[in-house]
Amino acid sequence: MPTVRRFRITINGKVYEVEAEELGEGTSEPSRVVAAPVTASAPPVAPKAQQGSVSGAAQVEAPLPGLVLDVKVDAGQTVDAGQVLVILEAMKMENEIVAPDNGVVSAVRVSKGDNVSAGDVLVVLE
Amino acid sequence: MDKKEELKRRQADIEAMGGPSRVERQHQMGKWSARERIQYLLDANTFEEIGAHVTHRGTRFGMDAVQAPADGVVTGFGRIEGRPVYIFAQDFTVLGGSLGEMHAAKIQRVQDLALKSGVPIIGLNDSGGARIQEGVDALNGYGEIFKRNTWASGVIPQITVIMGPSAGGAVYSPALTDVIIMVRHTAQMFITGPQVIQAVTGETVSAEDLGGADTHLKRSGVAHLAVDSDAEALDGVRRVLSFLPQNWMEEPPVVKSRDPLERIDETLARVVPDDANKPYDVAGIIGSILDEGDFFPLQKGYADNLVVGLGRIGGHPVGIVANQPRVLAGTLDINASDKLARFVRFADAFNIPIVTLVDTPGYLPGTSQEYGGIIRHGAKVLYAYAEATVPKVTLILRKAYGGAYLAMCSRSLGADLVLAWPTAEIAVMGPDGAANIIFRREIEGSDNPAETKAAKAEEYRQQFANPYVAAGHGYIDAVIEPEKTRGHLAQALMALYNKQDHRPKRHHGNIPV
Repeated sequence: MPTVRRFRITINGKVYEVEAEELGEGTSEPSRVVAAPVTASAPPVAPKAQQGSVSGAAQVEAPLPGLVLDVKVDAGQTVDAGQVLVILEAMKMENEIVAPDNGVVSAVRVSKGDNVSAGDVLVVLE
Repeated sequence: MDKKEELKRRQADIEAMGGPSRVERQHQMGKWSARERIQYLLDANTFEEIGAHVTHRGTRFGMDAVQAPADGVVTGFGRIEGRPVYIFAQDFTVLGGSLGEMHAAKIQRVQDLALKSGVPIIGLNDSGGARIQEGVDALNGYGEIFKRNTWASGVIPQITVIMGPSAGGAVYSPALTDVIIMVRHTAQMFITGPQVIQAVTGETVSAEDLGGADTHLKRSGVAHLAVDSDAEALDGVRRVLSFLPQNWMEEPPVVKSRDPLERIDETLARVVPDDANKPYDVAGIIGSILDEGDFFPLQKGYADNLVVGLGRIGGHPVGIVANQPRVLAGTLDINASDKLARFVRFADAFNIPIVTLVDTPGYLPGTSQEYGGIIRHGAKVLYAYAEATVPKVTLILRKAYGGAYLAMCSRSLGADLVLAWPTAEIAVMGPDGAANIIFRREIEGSDNPAETKAAKAEEYRQQFANPYVAAGHGYIDAVIEPEKTRGHLAQALMALYNKQDHRPKRHHGNIPV
């Protein structure tokens, strides 16, 4: 039975959450390692999105009115809690809008250069 | 019967609480019994129970036949880290921990003793609510408790742990205390429960979604701490009390710290990005300043654009207030204002100096903020800082613009010392906004307005986006090297510990609640 163990590793000050799968004896294959940088104790930027809806989908909304500077994810992509989804320029700040939870991006509702109002849905997670 | 035997028999009945099967059910729900909680919380063998033999006086609805050991609440006093505390723990195994006349009287009794003695009081709540059979006497019991909570406010620390249901009027005693800790999945607080809400408004919501620990930590701001078990909740009580004095007349406890005060942290010189539009995590700065990087945040998850919590510098407790640039750009909004004002008043009540770390572009603009009353909520920030008489040290990290500069414990509001990093920008507004107003005609009349605007903004930035104009006018006492921040703050606090400050005599201020 392969067992998956999770580790938190800090490299050059960046925290990575790593899953390591133990493949057992008789195999020379290296353990599969999936690494994605996470920002330690990232507070969710969009508290509304956290509540989730009945279907289990979470809508990540713009917490501030602003300009979409960059979209960091595509539909279908798997994201970890705390991963940056969108950079939203507002209040003269490049705000990182992060995933409130682990999930899969089911829809990206904005693109680079869009102006959004507070409460507009940016990304839908499942 | 032998008199000694009778005492033993009675004690055994009282200590058995609702009986083995009910205690077992309590365990199955993931909860400890009232006595197990007290035993875990207090120093070993220090609990002295009072009122164990108190019993209810109900006669209606068959109550005359009902035995209720200790009337469903264990009360008394003991020690935590050697310091006395009063405690009451509601016992869900006896009549569901319901609050009747005598149950309430027992709580009032420890409240009275704690207040007179200047000793903290801890309430462990696990109660189905008012004991309906006792009617208006139960209601009166709540009222008498609320009154004592209010009288004790700011005199002795009052700490509440919600470890089971707390519904209806029962929520208001906790709400009047200083700190509320909630246990996930077993604790719920609400004024009206899911059934009533379903019947009246048609909304369907689970008890946990409506009033669970995470709801109150992240959404309503009612809870200060959410934890996963009874043990963790009680550890939280000990941790909170470690920062607090016994009462408002005493200084908070000082511990030995091996972390050198003059510790230099090179990373602080790089933490604020050169680009003023880039966010960063203020938690790193807080950790660097405090002894052993040990920070105890309160209300983490609620209004995270502002961080509040407790730590120590040189072994002395300090309250930390900090803007968080990575959430909502570090703006002050309604919820952050409430969070800040409540924390500053808590720290001030218990002689805990306040260190404020400033990096905010201002109050959050928007109709929802204006309609929601940001004027009266934001005013609480000014009120709390200006009212506080504890040592107040402010450190401006980067942006300090306009009204928010004033609000974040500026010299004008009564900061004792204001320090700034070389990256500080103190101005009426940000460079772009200022250029737009001051140089509007030149920008509009220009062949290339965008370029002119950028040039003028840069000109403004050169002139005003630094700490030296404010320092030149005496609003900043010192511009410090970031890597030496801890040493400078420690020196400042040391020079302020004996500070005496007084406000005019009055009934009480009229904070815009």
